[in-house]
Amino acid sequence: MLELCNINKAYAEGRKVLTNLTYTLKAGEYVAIMGDSGVGKSTLLNLIAGLDTPDSGEVRINGVAISALDDDAATQLRREQFGFVFQAFHVLPHLTLRQNIALPLLLNEASLDRVEQMLAEVGLHDRGHHFPRQLSGGELQRVAIARALVHRPKLVLADEPTGNLDPDTAREILQLMRKEIKSNGATGILVTHSHAAAATADIVLNLTKDGLHPARSELS
Amino acid sequence: MLSGKSMSQYYFFPFVRLTVLSFCLFTATAFAESSEFMPVVPDYKLTFPRDYGAHQDFRIEWWYVTGWLETEDKKPLGFQVTFFRYATGHNQDNPSRFAAKYLIIAHLALSDPAVGKLMHIERTAREGFNLAYAKEGNTDVRLNDWTFVREEDGHYQVDMQANDFGLQLSLTPTQMIMLQDQNGFSRKGPKSEQASYYYSEPHLSVTGTVFRHNKPVTVSGRAWLDHEWSTAYLDSDADGWDWVGANLDDGSALMAFQIRHKNGGKVWAYAALRDASGNISFFNPEQVEFTPTRTWRSPHTDAIYPVAMHIRTGETEWQLMPLLDDQELDSRQSAGAVYWEGAVTLTRDNKPAGRGYLELTGYFKPLAL
Amino acid sequence: MNSISLFRWLLFGEWRAHMVQLIVVLIAIAVGVAMGFSIHLINTAAFNEFSAASKSLSGQSDLQVRGRKAFFGESLYPMLAGHEGVALANPVLELDVVALGKQQNRNDHKLKIIGIDMFRAAEISPDLLGLPEEGKTLDRLASDTIFLSPAAMEWLQVKQGDSLPLQVGLQTVTLRVAGGLVRARAGQRLAAMDIGAAQWRFQQLGLLSRIELKLKDGVNHAAFKARLTEELGESYWVSETTDQETRIANMSRAYRVNLNMLALVALFTGTFLVFSTQALSVIRRRQQFALLRVLGFTRQQLLRQIITEGVILGVIGSMLGLMLGYAVAAMAIQFLGGDLGSMFFPGVKPSIYFNPLAALTFFWVGLSVTMLGSLVPAFEAVRARPALALRSGSEELAMAKLSAPWFAVICLSFALLFTQLPPIFELPIFGYLAIALLLIGGIALMPRFAGWVFSALFVKLHHRIGAVFTLVLTRLANAPNQAAIALGGILASFSLMVAMAIMVTSFRISVDGWLERVLPADLYVRVTATGDQGGFQPDEQKVISELPHFDRVDFFRTQPLTLEADRPEITLIARPIDQTDPRNTLPMTDDMIAPALLSEGIMPVWVSEAMVDLYGYRVGEKVTLPIGATSSEFLVAGVWRDYGRQFGAVQMQLADYQALTGDSSVNTLALWLQPGITLEEAIANLRQLPFGAALEISRSSDMRALSLEIFDRSFAVTYILEIVAVVIGLLGVAASFSAQTLARAKEFGMLRHIGVMRWQILAILAAEGSLLTTLGVMLGFGLGWGISLILVFIVNPQSFHWTMQLHLPWGWLMVIAAVMLVSATLTALLAGRQAVSGHVIRAVREDW
Repeated sequence: MLELCNINKAYAEGRKVLTNLTYTLKAGEYVAIMGDSGVGKSTLLNLIAGLDTPDSGEVRINGVAISALDDDAATQLRREQFGFVFQAFHVLPHLTLRQNIALPLLLNEASLDRVEQMLAEVGLHDRGHHFPRQLSGGELQRVAIARALVHRPKLVLADEPTGNLDPDTAREILQLMRKEIKSNGATGILVTHSHAAAATADIVLNLTKDGLHPARSELS
Repeated sequence: MLSGKSMSQYYFFPFVRLTVLSFCLFTATAFAESSEFMPVVPDYKLTFPRDYGAHQDFRIEWWYVTGWLETEDKKPLGFQVTFFRYATGHNQDNPSRFAAKYLIIAHLALSDPAVGKLMHIERTAREGFNLAYAKEGNTDVRLNDWTFVREEDGHYQVDMQANDFGLQLSLTPTQMIMLQDQNGFSRKGPKSEQASYYYSEPHLSVTGTVFRHNKPVTVSGRAWLDHEWSTAYLDSDADGWDWVGANLDDGSALMAFQIRHKNGGKVWAYAALRDASGNISFFNPEQVEFTPTRTWRSPHTDAIYPVAMHIRTGETEWQLMPLLDDQELDSRQSAGAVYWEGAVTLTRDNKPAGRGYLELTGYFKPLAL
Repeated sequence: MNSISLFRWLLFGEWRAHMVQLIVVLIAIAVGVAMGFSIHLINTAAFNEFSAASKSLSGQSDLQVRGRKAFFGESLYPMLAGHEGVALANPVLELDVVALGKQQNRNDHKLKIIGIDMFRAAEISPDLLGLPEEGKTLDRLASDTIFLSPAAMEWLQVKQGDSLPLQVGLQTVTLRVAGGLVRARAGQRLAAMDIGAAQWRFQQLGLLSRIELKLKDGVNHAAFKARLTEELGESYWVSETTDQETRIANMSRAYRVNLNMLALVALFTGTFLVFSTQALSVIRRRQQFALLRVLGFTRQQLLRQIITEGVILGVIGSMLGLMLGYAVAAMAIQFLGGDLGSMFFPGVKPSIYFNPLAALTFFWVGLSVTMLGSLVPAFEAVRARPALALRSGSEELAMAKLSAPWFAVICLSFALLFTQLPPIFELPIFGYLAIALLLIGGIALMPRFAGWVFSALFVKLHHRIGAVFTLVLTRLANAPNQAAIALGGILASFSLMVAMAIMVTSFRISVDGWLERVLPADLYVRVTATGDQGGFQPDEQKVISELPHFDRVDFFRTQPLTLEADRPEITLIARPIDQTDPRNTLPMTDDMIAPALLSEGIMPVWVSEAMVDLYGYRVGEKVTLPIGATSSEFLVAGVWRDYGRQFGAVQMQLADYQALTGDSSVNTLALWLQPGITLEEAIANLRQLPFGAALEISRSSDMRALSLEIFDRSFAVTYILEIVAVVIGLLGVAASFSAQTLARAKEFGMLRHIGVMRWQILAILAAEGSLLTTLGVMLGFGLGWGISLILVFIVNPQSFHWTMQLHLPWGWLMVIAAVMLVSATLTALLAGRQAVSGHVIRAVREDW
């Protein structure tokens, strides 16, 4: 479903982050990517999302080279097939939860029917009219998860989604995310530092200078 | 800046008496109109009291009183009071009551050795509205609240007060009037039309009050009155003018003047000496001689004045000594002239003889810048 | 940690990061201060020069005696000169004489000639003594000479020795330019000559304009004035120099105050911009401040940080403003003249005088406003609980506190109350306060209003709109405070513009209609009155009325009349008036008594609105006016509208006037053509009269056009001020949009992540901009309409004493609205274009 072919990427100042990275992700897989700080996890996510272009190599989504698309096409692709969960939640403060979750549907001009369902699924069914400032961090991330999946994306990218949360809440959120990704049949990429978080994924990959490699399984 | 030298050729006679005029710059064009005035002629007979009064038909006329006063504590003071009537020669056909046909100009100066310099003030007004006039028939001149009046009995009343000084004097004649030169026809130059009508009243007995800084001081003394009127003008070669009028202690009266030539020497001179009994000796130009004996440089204008003067009239030698040196009058701001007019004491053949006033004009030279 | 260097890091860091906003704030402060300061400078310069010029004419006198009419008999002069206590009486005859060849220049054709007795004037007004050619001192007393100020020489194109033809009635008097008035003020057109000569040559024998008195030392001025006033009776005015100054000040006061008010209004718009920019900048950094608090900044430290930042901005901006204001004033005076082209201070060439106190005042205003903009949100930021403030979205809460609705309601209520209050010192102070409060209240109410409108809109539309509009509307509805701040500038400037447009249009239409009423004839023929004489004597009147071309000829006798010493003269107009219905002759208001009620026994007068305001004349009352040898009683029969003479005018029957005064001369003739005669023929015929060359002939159409042209010119400066206000408003839009774009970087970044196109972000910005502007324009229209009501029905009647009807310039308003909408949208777009730049995407990773 997602193919990374010979990706090379250097920062503007010349430091190489990704070298000859090649990996293929199958549809429905949920992978966690771990790695040291500065190794290029966020860069990799940006490349996958089409928000950045590789110096060489290709990112293919269902066979389409995303790095070859122009901004509008890439945006269109993101809109339809991607879902995002951020460390800092990024929920629009002046939109209600319902409106926040409805955003991707609106962008895709789809029916808003699924909003209430998603609200219920993330456990906020009676709070759709609330504003984000009335919510706790965990609750905000539930909203973000609902928003990331409401339009049934093919690929969900989560960047340290529990970085701002306490361990109990983090566990809840990771379970919820996994459940939602699986129940929506999406492919998921979870970038995290946390082994506990990574453990909720099907496969754990380590990003190093040499590329992406399956980590030694550390099942507890 | 007006220089005595360049102006003098245009002056009417006598210099000083005209330099106090605000309109001292009479040009040739101004004289073109002089035909409308009467000429001064030798055979005119002065008649009184009519000739005490003003003479509208002549261009210029003045009453000029100078004298020595003494305060109650025997301090000497000199004073000078002048009223001019001047016909502008303009506006004869203007029906406005404001039309400036005649001007009245008055001048008051006080020499007080205690002050060390001359105090003076001058005023000008157009005749009209009974605020300023010189009446015919008898001496009656007014300039706002300044008045100079001859009463029926021959007394003169002077009332002139300014902000910080002034005087109220009563002048009583003690002698006959003195007709100058040829029965009051007084020549001023080699040409016969260079002349004026001129009489004097010497030995006027003065009583009254002098105000200094608004404080009245009772005074008494002796004064000399000149009344002169004329139309014609002075010789163009004239450079300046020295004049003296003195009441002598023996009751005689001396008047002498010379008109100096630009090249030195004199254009004209005249003197008359009347003794107490009324006998007058006249002196012709050759018999009159002015010789400076001491000069004083004015710190105000740098002009050099012969403030001490030796005068010879015929066989008689007179020496004039000033009451104070600084009796210079600088009226450039208004009148445009600078001259010296001061109280002097006289000796006759080296013996004290009397007191009088000396007038020195044409000595101011513009400062070299 | 060194607190100074920490302070500097924070400050410079902030400024480096937001250079554009920093510059915008500085510009806003500078422009606001500059506007106020430059108008103040121009006004003061013009007024001081005008007043100094007037004062140089009246000299250093202690008292002045004038007649109620412009001229009085000279017999008073010797009486005063000899009066006890008077040191010097200086008679003056002042005349405005038409310079030949300048007649057609209606507003600028007269030369002021002062007739003096130089010996007396020398002690009171020595500046009026001419400087003759050397050796021609007597020229000062001559009957054929005149001395001109340098400006007058330049204007008349003459020099010393030239002949100067002047028009007196229907004759020409030629005088010789004998010299200059070297001490006249720059630009002052002035002539002096001998008083006797002036009386004679200008046919004013026996007349004087005034007598100036110098009192003797120690005389009590007030007591002497009172005694003399009583002695002279009611035909004369005794005034002190200060009365004179009051009178001059009164003449232009309304104009000056109104201009100053406009400047203040502009400053107010600027103020709002400064406030909002500064407030936004503080609010945007709420989270940063919260962090600083968390890290251990005390409240005081934080407050000091924010305040110092405001002070530095305020000082720099205000200094820039003072410099800019000075430069603008200097240029305006250079190119437009001291009255900004309105001819309010004629013949004056002012130079700017830098008054440190005024500069300091404007400096303070600029600084305080900036401070206020920092302080209010700073206090809020300091008081906020850091943990809460760290959360994004809390800005809106902070701003909600700044716009409590009760505040707006109080402002609006007071505004309403103030419209009901009378003027203070004859100035519409409360009217202006009401305008300010209306604006403040309107702006303060804006967030509520915006929230309400956009919510309603969203509820109505949300099924039918896409993502972009959902985003736009929800944001506008749910975050109305941020929106409203952007809107404040637009609202203020647009409502002012609307108000001015309505006022000026109402005024212009009223004036146009009025001109039609007051200029009914085809031709008007004038001979400028010189002194006390109307130009046309009965013989000439007869000649003209017997000309064959005219259906009807009306005669007018106009002259100035002083009713109160410290007020400018009123105008007395004697003319035939249709007594059965004065509306046929005069532009009457509704305030008049039925003609049938006029009794035979008392002469009627019709007074202008200013007479009602200034002198308290009421219809039906009897008033005493000094017309003729003694004062007579008149009945106020009606009030008419007069846009020409703000100091008051009285009209009466010509027959009554002639019976009272015996003055049979007139100044102006109104001529109605017979059918079939063209204007050109009629004018040619008039010109062929023996005195034809001296006539000033005007077509009523030309006069109307000229009047309107002058009208437009005097409002030119208000247009300029309006434009500046709009630019400031747009600057405000730019500032707040760019600030918000930065603040919303993460929002836009997230939107871009989840698939919002670049153009959609721009569309969001444009839609927000235009929706806000539309709302601002609508609300601004309402506010502006309210303000225009205050201007038309309160400010104008109270300051100029004339009323007008309200007219709305719909077309013009629509155009302004459209221009405003487009420019605000574009501004929002331009300011927000960073929102689509690459770093926005990365902003999702910033935590602040």
